[in-house]
Amino acid sequence: MLSRDQIDLIQQEIDGANTPEGSAALRSLMEQNPEAGAMAAELRRVAALFGQVAEREPPARLKRAILDALPQPARASPGALLRWAAQGLRFVTKSMEEPIMTKKALLIGSAAAAVVIVVAGILTGFPPGSRDAGTIGGVQPAARYHGKVMTEADVTLKNPEIQALFQNDQILRLVRSDAFRQVMASDAFRQLQASDAFRQLLASDAFRQLMASDAFRQLQDNDLFRQLQASEAFRQLQANAAFRQLQAQDAFRQMQSSAAMRQLQDNDLFRQLQANDAFRQVLASDAFRQVMENDLYRQVMDNELFRQVMENDLYRQLLANAAFRQLQESDASRQILASDAFRQLQAAEAFRALSQSQALSQAFMREAMRAQM
Amino acid sequence: MKETPLATDEQDRALVERYLENHGAAAGALVDRYQQRLFNVALRMLGNVQDAEDVTQAVFLNAFHRLRTYDPRYKFFSWIYRMTVNESLNMLKRRKPTVPLEDDLDILAPGAASDRAAEAEDRVGRALMGLKPDDRAVVVLRHFVSFSYQEIAEVLEIPVQTVKSRLFTARERLRLAIREGVR
Repeated sequence: MLSRDQIDLIQQEIDGANTPEGSAALRSLMEQNPEAGAMAAELRRVAALFGQVAEREPPARLKRAILDALPQPARASPGALLRWAAQGLRFVTKSMEEPIMTKKALLIGSAAAAVVIVVAGILTGFPPGSRDAGTIGGVQPAARYHGKVMTEADVTLKNPEIQALFQNDQILRLVRSDAFRQVMASDAFRQLQASDAFRQLLASDAFRQLMASDAFRQLQDNDLFRQLQASEAFRQLQANAAFRQLQAQDAFRQMQSSAAMRQLQDNDLFRQLQANDAFRQVLASDAFRQVMENDLYRQVMDNELFRQVMENDLYRQLLANAAFRQLQESDASRQILASDAFRQLQAAEAFRALSQSQALSQAFMREAMRAQM
Repeated sequence: MKETPLATDEQDRALVERYLENHGAAAGALVDRYQQRLFNVALRMLGNVQDAEDVTQAVFLNAFHRLRTYDPRYKFFSWIYRMTVNESLNMLKRRKPTVPLEDDLDILAPGAASDRAAEAEDRVGRALMGLKPDDRAVVVLRHFVSFSYQEIAEVLEIPVQTVKSRLFTARERLRLAIREGVR
């Protein structure tokens, strides 16, 4: 029976950690004790087995995912929750771009209208649609909004809101982006643009009211996010203990940086997100629920204009429009909507509330603009 | 991994300084420098590629986020390896304990380089998963990163004697486990 010291001597020899005297003592031991020799031989085989294991290459996407998730030096930190929300929006944006690409032609008027619709859609928090009323609608409804447009004749370039939009650098860069042009050039959008329902929606009082809202004007301001951060409601929300608790959670941090979340942004479906325990933990966490139930948070979320648009008959007609359905029925949309993870998201009360947040929607927009640049 | 030479602390410090001076390329250089090693540590700790990817990404993001508060008296690689091990241990704690090892183990690469390497990876992976996570961390740092006892002690912030104790105990268990596997 080997003593503890003798076994340690053997182990250290495997690691090359013995002194010359120790190694000599071990050699002597092995000559005198076959058990020591046998153990040394087995341990060497174990060590050799490790040596046979090849180093694995990390997934090629990992580096990009890490670097993409890093805050830019000049970028204001929107806070953990907002970053997460913005990530969601980037996915939404990508999922909408994919099914809609064809031509390059882009009428400036269409672009203007597109901006109006996109902005309105984001500002109003991706409202739930006719088929999924009461659910989150973070992906599907946003896709609807991107499916905007109207004929050039319908575009009121004299409209001060649109003029203001085109004076905004971020909006201009978005409009000039290839992805945005592709969206605008799609057949599905052209059909939608030609629909009576769509034009009527744009002409509706509710929509005009939305365009004239403070929130919309804020959007035209490059300092929007700073304003949001400086708002009393937002400051109170950030100071809320539950909010801080949520941000501090390991599960939340992990979810923010998870590879699954990155893939979600790359429109690689929700399957991996679904398997991400951290994500489920966040949604199920008490801290998250506390944030969602917080009065201040609800105050931030409140949006009267959004409700007006939702209650508008013309909006409902738009949802029933064939071109719009075509967008919804694209492969990308179907894959997303069919995923279990999406259903889980839809079922999450907290996520639904988050998607309807006016303040967060504004932050989404700013992040979306960055994502397009 | 053991073939990869340890990055010198000076080079790490230089990259950290450049990153803090807003040289964006430094971030990429640090990722290049460590992503494979950290990914492999996480993989051996967790036995699952997806989890290892998540952990690696989380570690880098936490590291970059905390670089301004990083104490340069400590070695960068000790710091980032420590985060990797801790993040892996945290993920293990979050896992459901009911998942059978066979279903969870994802060590074996599709299209592994050779049958021998694949078999070794499979055997080692399964044996590692049979160890207590704290012991596994020591074995991984010793055999996959080739850290010395002292370096492992610095990474895990435990005494050298504890490193040796855990390593020797774990390796003895591995010896028995692998021997059982052969039969």
